[in-house]
Amino acid sequence: MPYNVIVLIKQIPDIDQMKTNPGTGEPLLQNVPLRMENLSKNAVEAAVRIKEKNGGKVTVLCFGTDKSTSVMKEAYAMGADEGYLITGYPGNYPSVTAKALASKIKEIPHDLVILGNQSADSYTGLLPGSISAILGEPLLGNAVDIKLQEKQVSVVSALEDNNLEITAEMPAIVSVAQEINEPRLPPVLQIMAAGRKPINQSAASDLQVPEIKTLSNRAPKSDRKRIVFEDPAKGIEEVSKVIREAIR
Amino acid sequence: MKVLAFSDSKTILAQIISRFRDDAEVHALTHDTEFTAKFGAAKTIGMKGDILSGSVAKAIEKMQSDEGYDLIAIGSTVTGREVAGMLATMLSLHAVSEVNSVNLDGGKITTSRFFYGGKSLLTEESGAKIAVLAPGIAEAKESPGKTEVSEIQLEPSAVRIVSKTDKKGGSVDIEKAQIIVSVGRGLGKKENLEKVEPFAKAVHGEIAGSRPVCLDYGWLSEDRQVGLSGKKVQPKLYIALGISGQIQHIAGMRNSKLVIAVNKDKSAPIFEEADYGIVGDLFDVIAKLKEKVAQ
Ligand SMILES: Cc1cc2nc3c(=O)[nH]c(=O)nc-3n(C[C@H](O)[C@H](O)[C@H](O)COP(=O)(O)OP(=O)(O)OC[C@H]3O[C@@H](n4cnc5c(N)ncnc54)[C@H](O)[C@@H]3O)c2cc1C
Repeated sequence: MPYNVIVLIKQIPDIDQMKTNPGTGEPLLQNVPLRMENLSKNAVEAAVRIKEKNGGKVTVLCFGTDKSTSVMKEAYAMGADEGYLITGYPGNYPSVTAKALASKIKEIPHDLVILGNQSADSYTGLLPGSISAILGEPLLGNAVDIKLQEKQVSVVSALEDNNLEITAEMPAIVSVAQEINEPRLPPVLQIMAAGRKPINQSAASDLQVPEIKTLSNRAPKSDRKRIVFEDPAKGIEEVSKVIREAIR
Repeated sequence: MKVLAFSDSKTILAQIISRFRDDAEVHALTHDTEFTAKFGAAKTIGMKGDILSGSVAKAIEKMQSDEGYDLIAIGSTVTGREVAGMLATMLSLHAVSEVNSVNLDGGKITTSRFFYGGKSLLTEESGAKIAVLAPGIAEAKESPGKTEVSEIQLEPSAVRIVSKTDKKGGSVDIEKAQIIVSVGRGLGKKENLEKVEPFAKAVHGEIAGSRPVCLDYGWLSEDRQVGLSGKKVQPKLYIALGISGQIQHIAGMRNSKLVIAVNKDKSAPIFEEADYGIVGDLFDVIAKLKEKVAQ
């Protein structure tokens, strides 16, 4: 049977390209390109695969800024059918994000909501639980496999000491782990078509941002020697001495 | 001050109790009362029923209304983060997550956690009443203090457990290893571990790995994964073989004293985080290194 799947996606600075100020260690965010968050891609991929197998519709939701249209288009290119961009993202406040997304989710009929288990930049992992509590829908977390049968969703949930196969009735929330799939790279034609697809945009209202004082945000000091040998023979000579010394 | 401690990992729970028991009245919510009771919480509360996030969150919601805890301290596991996210909504309390260090001062709480995938360390002051604490928040130390043991029944959840498969591993503790030989996707295939093992032996090292090696491919057991979502190690020598050095990996090995990296790509970011690097094929390099080290 066909399923209506909502996917929550996040836009983040490309952390691999982000540098830190060599003097203060503070992150330098200017001119860092924005991109879709890693696990958000896995979430879109999981949803599109469900549609390809069973039919239905994939709707993406992003709480971001005016700049976030690019990730919406990327999700379209991967196979999403419709997208809602909520602008006004005030930064990493999981409770605020949960409320903004949940109020939109409530307006859209759905069987499943899929999102990443922990985002690659802020890494709090609080969003799945908060969304589940607001919507009153069961959460099946850190999924490495999703199976649907009629109104029942079953996932393999990768926990620290065991893999748990769990099941619940839809509508339900599923958070995915990186291992669930390899997100597709959409072909050029689809990317071009995605550019023309409309994006529903609205502004978040009534955000209650908690009071948090940032005391510092710096890269831990790294004073590595960074002696790199491009000639392996010479490297082996030197490094073997270093190892011998270190393991004495 | 009153602190409620919960984790589905009894190791992390013992660390949380040890962290707070001197400054606060700690109530510990556990699935193993016999083990948890050794760590000196004022109260040890055993949970009966399946440990599912929805059920645990409901139990804590009730305990919070009865006891009015100043802080709900939750161990950072998949289940723990879910419980914290649910409680933040259910109790309208601010939550901080993946915290590496915590200080309570009156109504304020100061926490540190990794940000930007581990690139920076973010220290914040907030009014959070829920804190998700990463493994290693304190050393777990047994205490002779008396504890009052009781039991509660968890409510059934809308989620049902179908089956459970234990993960292998569990014999090593790479967090305590002094020398680590860590392999990445550059290993190519599981069978190639045979080529790394003699080298690891020659340097008296434990074998660890990057996330793909431990999770995606399962070449190593998961308890050997180093990184943001794995173990944080601090050996005196860390040898990275065929690891590109993405920030999420660095976050787990940054406190190593000496880092040596072997990678065939001279622009691999791991060389930025290494004291010594060799550009080359890891199998060639370790075969020769092994001979030289043995000399
Ligand atoms: C939320 C989140 C959490 C994460 N947590 C972790 C974590 O805890 N730990 C972790 O490790 N990763 C983590 N990751 C994944 C991380 O981003 C990287 O994908 C991962 O570390 C890459 O692993 P790798 O270096 O083994 O593989 P790759 O990046 O594929 O690197 C392989 C390297 O091997 C080299 N190589 C190949 N063949 C050879 C050869 N014969 N000789 C020498 N060199 C060779 C290549 O040049 C390359 O640099 C996380 C990601 C996310 C989004």
